[in-house]
Amino acid sequence: METIISVKNLVNRFGSQVVHDGLSLDIRRDEILGVVGGSGSGKSVLMRSILGLQRPTSGTITVMGQKIEYHKPGPSRCWGVLFQAGALLSDLTVQQNVELPIALYSNMPLETRHELASLKLLMTGLSLTVADKFPSELSGGMRKRVALARALALEPKILFLDEPTAGLDPIAATEFENLITYLHDNLDLTIMMITHDVDSLFGICDRIAVLVDGGVVVGTLDEVLDSDHPWIRKYFGVPRALRARQAGGRP
Amino acid sequence: MSNAFLSVENHPDRQIANVRGHWIFDEIPALEQATATVLPNPDQVVVFQCAGLEEIDIAGAWVLYDRTQQLSEVGIKSEFAGFKAAHFKFLQHIIDAAAIREYVEPGRRPPRSKRIRETVEKLGSHTTELIEDLGAIARSVLEGTYKPSLYMVGETIKQIYLTGVQAIPVVVVITFLIGIVTAHQAAGQLGKFGASVLVVDLVSISITREMGVLLAAIMVAGRSGSAFAASLGVMKLNEEVDAMRVMGLNPHQMLVIPRILGLVIALPILTIFADIAGIAGGALIAVGNMGISGLQFVERVAYSTDLTDFYVGLSKAPVFALLIAMVGTLRGMQVKSSAEELGLKTTMAVVQSIFMIIVADALFATLFTHLGI
Repeated sequence: METIISVKNLVNRFGSQVVHDGLSLDIRRDEILGVVGGSGSGKSVLMRSILGLQRPTSGTITVMGQKIEYHKPGPSRCWGVLFQAGALLSDLTVQQNVELPIALYSNMPLETRHELASLKLLMTGLSLTVADKFPSELSGGMRKRVALARALALEPKILFLDEPTAGLDPIAATEFENLITYLHDNLDLTIMMITHDVDSLFGICDRIAVLVDGGVVVGTLDEVLDSDHPWIRKYFGVPRALRARQAGGRP
Repeated sequence: MSNAFLSVENHPDRQIANVRGHWIFDEIPALEQATATVLPNPDQVVVFQCAGLEEIDIAGAWVLYDRTQQLSEVGIKSEFAGFKAAHFKFLQHIIDAAAIREYVEPGRRPPRSKRIRETVEKLGSHTTELIEDLGAIARSVLEGTYKPSLYMVGETIKQIYLTGVQAIPVVVVITFLIGIVTAHQAAGQLGKFGASVLVVDLVSISITREMGVLLAAIMVAGRSGSAFAASLGVMKLNEEVDAMRVMGLNPHQMLVIPRILGLVIALPILTIFADIAGIAGGALIAVGNMGISGLQFVERVAYSTDLTDFYVGLSKAPVFALLIAMVGTLRGMQVKSSAEELGLKTTMAVVQSIFMIIVADALFATLFTHLGI
């Protein structure tokens, strides 16, 4: 399988606190990789390092063959990011938020730009009645959908999702998961997803990366479940995880 | 007709458009030109032959689909052929999405009568909001005096430090410099009458009555008025203010009153520093440049300026402080939704408080003249 993101010997240290200690991780093309870990295990730091938003203490990261350097322009055409709280620009309307990256990267006619942005909103299950609203006028779930539409605006190959279902009610969370699977199946997307939602872990992830002890245990669900690391056993042993496991993956 | 993306073959009953290459986001302007070469002809059905297509993404599929829609609007049928399964799923997706398409024209201007009505309504609601806010603050002040909490005392002391103590250096420097400037200007004019010694009178009276307090107030409006609006605004955006409310705490008591009280205490103190620094600036020029001795300067200040002048200046300080703190905190509490609004309200806080300081100063000047003080 082709490796699309490769993290080698990543070390992240904040003062005396070691977050990553020689972490290596490969993300393969067309997979959905779920990233889990306890608080402070460095899930977000890993994602921010890959995105070039954080200067790692040492280690190399390559995304689609391009080396990532801190605050240097990365392959921003190839990736879309859904931040945890959406990170929509608050002084632009929903439509303008989605149009902004399109306008920056293409000189297509204005009308096509409007239509493409509307299309992305529709694809994420939004009605165009929200197009002229401001992010502050939307509910949390809608904001996430708009943020996803923005992340998809440039036809990315890789999608980073930071807790996509956090703060959503079970119905909305399930819909959002279905949406992600649907997009993944239809758009040849590689997805890296930080999540604490065991349902999404069991339901939609191809592989799971568990961040423990500054490193990572990565594998398919069964492989990770077989791990005898105490934290992993505990994580997948809590009642809600067991229930999700029994429920199995959604089709 | 042909180009890199599309070539058209004409047959009597149909028009075959051979689609090929990479139909992707980056190529959009060229793709639109390409699809425009498929011309509507009432006798022909359009067939998009997609066997040569190498890559297509949603943007590319949209361009293709959009053309079929345009053709169908003028009554031309079109169909797709030779699609690879993967590509077709894409297009199907677009078609599904577009079926529920309800394109809204962005930014249509409402009619004039509606705009006027909205403006008037906005003005009215702003006014009532302002009165409500002022009322809430006044009520909180009353409640606070019945049962003052230790937290408020601590917070007030913190505000005195932040708005007063930390502002001392900058206020001292600017009033010192203004003292120098005033003395220089006065020396030039009064020297013509041979009344150079009156420079001392002019500097000490104008600094104590007007300049000291005014400069300190304007400086504080820029420093603390903006800080009040920005910090309260961010707290509103973070729902910290709401959190206080649900915990049964009164945000006006916790946030607004300490700031108002702190500034009302801090600004008079700053004014004293400003007066001293301003006169010192004047002294530097008088003694250094004009040959007035130090003793003479002190004597002249004592002769021309009495405590009334000093009190006139000082009495204005709490009023200015109240204006700055009220405007700053009110504007901060009015922030509701966005970062842009925060910036706007912060600007408004500074501009309006400086404006109100100067208006109030003019009123004071008139009042004191009439009272003969």
